[in-house]
Amino acid sequence: MHVAVGDRIVVKGHRIGQPDRDCEVIEVRGSDGGPPYIVRWGDTGHETLFFPGSDAAVQHFEHAR
Amino acid sequence: MRTIDALRRSGVGIKPSQTIREAAELMEHTGVGSLAVVDGTRLTGIVTDRDLVRRGLARGLPLDARVDMVMSSPVITVDAEADLHDAFQSFRTHGVRRLAVVRDGEFTGMITVDDLLVDLADDLVGLSRPIDAEIHHAHRDGAVVAMT
Repeated sequence: MHVAVGDRIVVKGHRIGQPDRDCEVIEVRGSDGGPPYIVRWGDTGHETLFFPGSDAAVQHFEHAR
Repeated sequence: MRTIDALRRSGVGIKPSQTIREAAELMEHTGVGSLAVVDGTRLTGIVTDRDLVRRGLARGLPLDARVDMVMSSPVITVDAEADLHDAFQSFRTHGVRRLAVVRDGEFTGMITVDDLLVDLADDLVGLSRPIDAEIHHAHRDGAVVAMT
């Protein structure tokens, strides 16, 4: 997974009734856009060191050119 | 099958200097039962919800105690490119329920016995379908033979 600051990552719920969650990438710690990332969760505002797995999909933000 | 291909969940990390309260909050907010304790890019330990209870609460540690006081270390790891059977072997050998998956020595994610059991159950359901169809539609073959 390669992301840039400002991209959104959606993590699907693992249990029945558990909603998908999303977060915004605020820092890329890996090389060449790779993980880990510091993310801010949309529902709580908490910041976390995040290592995306197969349950995570990135939505690229349209960055200014 | 590579171990990395069996990784179902994203991993969440915490710094060694953060508190056990923050660890508990992170688990609650992110829905995971374990956190990778990461110092820079170096994996230094794993802390589980069970660790917070047994090594934290039960011993009367304050909520602002550092998370590295309750983490498990050294960490049992499996390489991301290793065959999944190597992960099974490590689960058997070490009697643990979680393994840290690493690539080039850096944490990539956490693989759990629970996740592997879910995968196995899915595989078993797939394998049982032909047998299930045979049991419930046993007369179908007979009709085909009668037509020839």
